[in-house]
Amino acid sequence: MNWRALIRHETFLALLLVLVLVVLSFQSDRFFTVANLLNQGRLMTEIGLIAIAMTFVIATGGIDLSVGSILGLVAILLGVFWQNVGMPLPMAMAAAIAAGTFAGFLNGFIITRFRVPPLIATLATLALYRGLAEGISQARSVRGYPDWFYVLGQGEVLGVPTQLWILFAAAVIASVILAYTRWGRTVYAIGSNEVASRFSGLPVETTKLALYTASGFAASLAAVIFVSRVSTTRSDMGTGIELDAITAVVLGGTSIFGGRGTIIGTIIGLCLIQALKNGLSLAGVKGDGTIMLIGAVLILAILVSNIFERSGSR
Amino acid sequence: MGRIVLSAILALSFSTSLSHAQSSWTGGDDLPTNPLACDGTAAAAASVPYDGGQPTNAPDRNGKTITVVDVPKLVGIGYFNATSKGIADAAAEMGTMDAKTDGPSRANIDDQITLIDNYITSGVDGILFAANDPVAISPVLKKALAAGINVVGYDANSEPDARQWFVNQAEFNGIAKSMIDALAAEIGEDGAFAIVTSTFTTPNQARWIAEMEAYQAECYPNMKWLETVEAQEDNILSFNQANTLINKYGDEMKGILGMTSVATPAAADAVTQAGQCGNVAVVGLATPNAMKPYVASDCVKSVVLWNPVDLGYAAAYVLRAVADGTLEPGATSVEAGKLGELQVINGSEILLGAPFVFTKDNINDFDF
Amino acid sequence: MTAAVDLPPIRPRNGARRQGFLRRLFADYGQECVVLGAIVLLFVVVTFINPRFVNTNNLITIFSGNAYIAVAAIGMAMVIMTGNIDVSVGALIGVLATIAGTLAVSGYPIWFALTAPILVGMAVNTVIGVLVAYGRIPSIVVTLGALSILRGGLIGVTGGTWITDLPPDFLIAQKRLFSIPVPLIFMIVLTVAAFLWMRYSAFGRSIYAIGGNPEAAVATGIPVERRLVSVFAIHGAFAGLAAILFATQLQVIQSTVPPNLELTIITATVIGGVSILGGTGTVIGSTLATILFATIGSALIFINVSAYWLRAVIGLLILATVLADMLRRRGRA
Repeated sequence: MNWRALIRHETFLALLLVLVLVVLSFQSDRFFTVANLLNQGRLMTEIGLIAIAMTFVIATGGIDLSVGSILGLVAILLGVFWQNVGMPLPMAMAAAIAAGTFAGFLNGFIITRFRVPPLIATLATLALYRGLAEGISQARSVRGYPDWFYVLGQGEVLGVPTQLWILFAAAVIASVILAYTRWGRTVYAIGSNEVASRFSGLPVETTKLALYTASGFAASLAAVIFVSRVSTTRSDMGTGIELDAITAVVLGGTSIFGGRGTIIGTIIGLCLIQALKNGLSLAGVKGDGTIMLIGAVLILAILVSNIFERSGSR
Repeated sequence: MGRIVLSAILALSFSTSLSHAQSSWTGGDDLPTNPLACDGTAAAAASVPYDGGQPTNAPDRNGKTITVVDVPKLVGIGYFNATSKGIADAAAEMGTMDAKTDGPSRANIDDQITLIDNYITSGVDGILFAANDPVAISPVLKKALAAGINVVGYDANSEPDARQWFVNQAEFNGIAKSMIDALAAEIGEDGAFAIVTSTFTTPNQARWIAEMEAYQAECYPNMKWLETVEAQEDNILSFNQANTLINKYGDEMKGILGMTSVATPAAADAVTQAGQCGNVAVVGLATPNAMKPYVASDCVKSVVLWNPVDLGYAAAYVLRAVADGTLEPGATSVEAGKLGELQVINGSEILLGAPFVFTKDNINDFDF
Repeated sequence: MTAAVDLPPIRPRNGARRQGFLRRLFADYGQECVVLGAIVLLFVVVTFINPRFVNTNNLITIFSGNAYIAVAAIGMAMVIMTGNIDVSVGALIGVLATIAGTLAVSGYPIWFALTAPILVGMAVNTVIGVLVAYGRIPSIVVTLGALSILRGGLIGVTGGTWITDLPPDFLIAQKRLFSIPVPLIFMIVLTVAAFLWMRYSAFGRSIYAIGGNPEAAVATGIPVERRLVSVFAIHGAFAGLAAILFATQLQVIQSTVPPNLELTIITATVIGGVSILGGTGTVIGSTLATILFATIGSALIFINVSAYWLRAVIGLLILATVLADMLRRRGRA
């Protein structure tokens, strides 16, 4: 094994995560406990699911800003389908997720069919989907779901929060797809050079369409978990979650210009942010101090990694 | 084919939502209302049994110094600065409470839940909260109770069984009566008015609007309700929305109701800059410092609010009493320092008092 | 992406004459025309339904109410044209407004309170620009970080206290010059000045070159790194100007960041035709887009669209504008 292969962003980030965990556990003896860490996993699942799909999207050089709005829309639709339309809850869940996936498909359709840059297309649908959520909900929230529904967001399976299993499964599947399949390599190829990919016969448009659809699906799944965790629906759910997810993805080493990035990096980035939020709070740092530190860590991590990479490649 | 099915689902959701809520778009919620009598005679208070929750295996905290965290809806607005000042004042006075305020930087349900969750893990003795959403916050508060933490709410409630007590600043129907009475005194019993609120999803605002609608329909049936506009918690947007209302209705609109401490001063500024002082009345919920210029220039005659410093102060005393075991289910009143005896209402709520109306004569006595 | 440097076209004289003025205008400023067309269409339709829409006061509300967004969008347009982005500008405006207000109430001279935000804005964004240009960190990463730092810092430092008792001379956005509101003057003068500067000065044209094709820009001797830092600094100055308008509009300064301000500014910029891929667009477009948003917001109140559907309608109109532009471009190609 070439030691140089280890000098990469993910390694550096993993070391940073270990360092942060060690320091924080000295700050508070309540931090590094199984119960606390599992609970943090519960809290980061929604962002995690979205960030995993976002890793693919960003690796193609795209971006999806509408995920927070899709989350809000799906949450509202879940409630409306169940309470106002009278569907059985499992069917309402499926229908709401289908609608959210379609919203993602629509993003992809606009981007591939009309060649609208992803940032613009999803900025527009960010406003549109949030508006639909507000309009459909008429500011009413839907509550009082049956008990079995809360297993998803508040329950446990084999001692681990239910949604953490879903996040784990999603992460494993996504890593395999991105790293080991032809499809994953197509994603990187598109991100590195879209024109060249098209000329070499790769299914650029189909891949992108599938990715934005998947991103919509991830946001929809996150929405159902979120509703189950907080036991109510509101049209403002998920506001700003797109920036949190993007932060985790870029902190994890995915290049915003495309062509580079791994799922493991995104997961480490996600854990780092969550550990800082939780650990600093336990150590007595207030919320505003914590978000400042996360901002600084983001910039410094990418800066240091850039410096190392440049010196390594020489 | 799949696309058609999905479009059909979307279309279905539109039509249902359009039909189920075509009735009103005043911005009120759909919970039952309970308007007060027009002449202010108090309704016979039905005695409700205690419906709050109880912490599991709480240690004996009687007389011991307790650490308390106060989690408002968001930090960075005047109103919650005032409540946390009240909490700090009370803590300093008692000497046995170690209180700090930490809240989300935006009024976001998830950020608030995460913060509370972290404080449960850090092992505080008591949590004071003002909920961004009554239902969404409840699971995490129940978790706090299960961890033996004393939980008391103020300003914005959760579900009753997710906390022990809730300090109610003023009942919804009381606020509604004060607002509409003050407005009617200025624009007459047949004037037309519009509302600037934050968002339609903010529970307190939606509740007040619904109660105002009910009270107005009963006591001032000739008043005309023009429309309600949203302005987030954004003062420039509130200003623009108020301006647009003035431009749209011209002389028809006699008054604007501001439903938040952000919207009311902005609406007052819009009326002032449009040169409509005296023609368009502004009545609303707001903190006095922000309203002093407009009250001084006679553009605004009455500002409705409770004293948020007192609200925080009372919440801290209630938490102390719960921790000491002196406030138990079934109690009818509680001692709250300089505020004296406060009454228990609705089973597990403690009433701060009647809403306060600030006018030119008394507004300079307050500084928050 | 094609590798050609996409400078704003300056066509040979005789060719231009033959083409006809309107066609040429439409070819060069297509997106601006689309947005302007949308504004005009809205005005016609809404006035037909409710004639009060065009009363003078309402025109003033529409054109000057969002002037601070338009001013901030000018700087944002320059940043986006270089192929970068800034998601921290909303938080920065919040910080700068608080600085201006704090200085004004602590007895500093008014001119100082009104220049400090511009200088601080330039300083903050110079740091961001250096990190982007020399640290080689993508701008979205730097500004995501800056967003957290500025937002957290603002609350940490001010504790969220509102600033009241502002001296009357400080409230310049409430004043009028020759009966025109000051924010409107700011918006028009700054837009026109920035437009001309970008179109005709060497520096301004180099912004287009950097965005259109950085390698070619380096090859033609443009100091790309230095220019990038300068563009960010200029963007900071515009953020300072926007913050001044924001802080002096009302008699109270709310020391929190207006929710989603950065998204509004970015949306205005890209809807106005500034390409996120860099290299094309004008600040006239971003200002027109800001006016379009204000017109939509006001129009929906005037024609009694349920406020619940307001944001959905805005979203739909934005999407329609984007698609119209794409179809127009395709038709041209």
